[in-house]
Amino acid sequence: MKKSKISSETTQSIYYAEDNTQCIITDTPDYSILKSLGIVKNASVKKVFTHKLGGPVLVRVGSREIAIGKDIAVRIMVGGK
Amino acid sequence: MASCHEVNEDAEIYKKENKILLMGNPNVGKSVFFSDMTGIHVISSNYAGTTVTYTEGTVKLGDQNYTLIDVPGTYSLEATSEAEAVAVRFMNSNPVAVICVLDATNLERNIKLGLEIQKFNIPIVYALNLVDVAKRHGYEINAGLLSKELGAPVIPTVAVKGEGIKDLKEALQKVLSQPKNICGSCASCPGCKENEMDVWDRAKEIAAKVQKQVNGELSFLDKLGSSMLKPWPGIPIALLVIILSIGVIVGFGKVLQDGILLPLVDGIIVPFFRKLFSLVIPEGVLLNVLIGEYGIFVIGFEWIITLILPYVFLFYVVFSFLEDSGILPRLSVLFDNIMRKFGVQGGSMITILMGYGCAVPAIIGSRTATTKKERLIIASVICFAVPCISQTGALISLFANFSPLLLVLMFLLSFAVMMTVSGILGRVLKGKVDPLVIEIPNLLMPNAKAYGKKLMLRMKNFLVDAEVPMLFSILVAALLKETGLLNYIAVYLEPIVSGWLGLPKEAVIALILGIIRREMAVAPLLEIEGLTALQAFVGGTVALLYLPCLSVFGILTKEFNSKVALAIACSTVINALLVAGLINQIAHMII
Repeated sequence: MKKSKISSETTQSIYYAEDNTQCIITDTPDYSILKSLGIVKNASVKKVFTHKLGGPVLVRVGSREIAIGKDIAVRIMVGGK
Repeated sequence: MASCHEVNEDAEIYKKENKILLMGNPNVGKSVFFSDMTGIHVISSNYAGTTVTYTEGTVKLGDQNYTLIDVPGTYSLEATSEAEAVAVRFMNSNPVAVICVLDATNLERNIKLGLEIQKFNIPIVYALNLVDVAKRHGYEINAGLLSKELGAPVIPTVAVKGEGIKDLKEALQKVLSQPKNICGSCASCPGCKENEMDVWDRAKEIAAKVQKQVNGELSFLDKLGSSMLKPWPGIPIALLVIILSIGVIVGFGKVLQDGILLPLVDGIIVPFFRKLFSLVIPEGVLLNVLIGEYGIFVIGFEWIITLILPYVFLFYVVFSFLEDSGILPRLSVLFDNIMRKFGVQGGSMITILMGYGCAVPAIIGSRTATTKKERLIIASVICFAVPCISQTGALISLFANFSPLLLVLMFLLSFAVMMTVSGILGRVLKGKVDPLVIEIPNLLMPNAKAYGKKLMLRMKNFLVDAEVPMLFSILVAALLKETGLLNYIAVYLEPIVSGWLGLPKEAVIALILGIIRREMAVAPLLEIEGLTALQAFVGGTVALLYLPCLSVFGILTKEFNSKVALAIACSTVINALLVAGLINQIAHMII
């Protein structure tokens, strides 16, 4: 599994972003449920953890935790805050 | 997608006068408000999507009666899902007022929905729910300021504790008595600003204004809730929860059964009826049908009260707790990676677990699946290999005479079939399964009152829904056995039952009754004397994999169509006879 540090210049998938970091969403796939949950472009979210073996990624938006399955999560791009 | 089949709604409801809508995001406590305000108890749980269709009730404000409607939770009014479409239809059906429940722990998103609702120009009252949880997370919300920003009353509430309900009713009465054109003077109304602004931006702006960071202290449950989302310590905790749940159901079930119910039924109730009927009715077929070995008044009590009831009760004791506490969505997250390998996603786990209680609500609950393919996979898995609790109860009693190991083996077999079925259907069926996207609810201790009511409602539903088919199958059993009719039928089924499956010919009753109810495919085996461990296991396998009961057939027809129902019924029967027969044949080769 590739893993790299978030820097303000590069963007990467939230799935591979470092755990426990605050990041800004730069791009998301077009799913209405993501939009509804506050996973929208320019939103500041905290990447909490990625589950192993193709499991979901945990993201904190405000004080709520959201789990996003791998297939969608890899397409959510984030940059540093 | 045949979405028109999925919500059974009555067109009349939209025409009703004096409707008040209860709206909000999923899992913000709308159903709890509904129960508190109407006194009607609907099943509420601590995860999104419990209300897949609306519920209506009457609420009295002053001396006027209103119809309160618990609208399915939605994140927006864009009508992108069936639940949202229902919500939009309600908004357009001329309601007199809306109660919009806001989740204080996620204000921005909730205000956004509120602003969307405001566009319909209907009098609105906001209930700011979960204020206690928000505070622990370090957020304090200025309700007065929020009310000013939204241009409508905002009442802070803690619905599970009943706090703020009275104030909410008063505020509602007030807006209802006001002249309708509150939105006429838009210039002064801050709620109307969103007409020019994007709702998200406006929601963000309001949330930032009214929210204040305070020093919150996360409770033990908040921390536990977060830690349960990671494999360590999440998975050990999850396994502990599962083992404990099974332990409570099986262990206490056995205690209830052997300690209380069995002595009551075999010692008092059955002998009473035996005595009564033998005094009044002369010996013969009629007397046998009533109180013979398979008499209605014998197995009617033995099977229903001692075999099934304790397990059904305990299953719902445990399951309702898991639902209300917020543990289930955490299990979905932890096991999503495994479920994904079998063509479904973690969220389906809640529905499948529900199937261990009864397949009917589970199949209805599968409406929360976002694609038809996923629904079909879940429904098939439940029909093929998930034993309902009544059947599990009967299986426990059956295997208790041999070894608990058989029960473990049976569950392993069930998992293997589940995985095979979902794996095959995942590949064969057209369409796709959407990946998991869920909001994790707060972990909380269930509210005793709401929990108790839910348990009672579930037991009542079980007794009402299961009683008639159970009594019917008992009547069929009694007639088949006590009139000797069974021997005629047995001749035709003998090659399958005795030859292929290696079961005694009385087991034919199980195959016939199993069509009506699942546990009845097991119960007759208990009455057969001299059953070997292998025969018990083979009989149990047939019962487990055999076609779901008549009610399930009905619900499959209703939720999908008769073709799906028939396909599932036929393939389960073939699968059951095939697998059980193979077990029997292979075991004989080895032994």
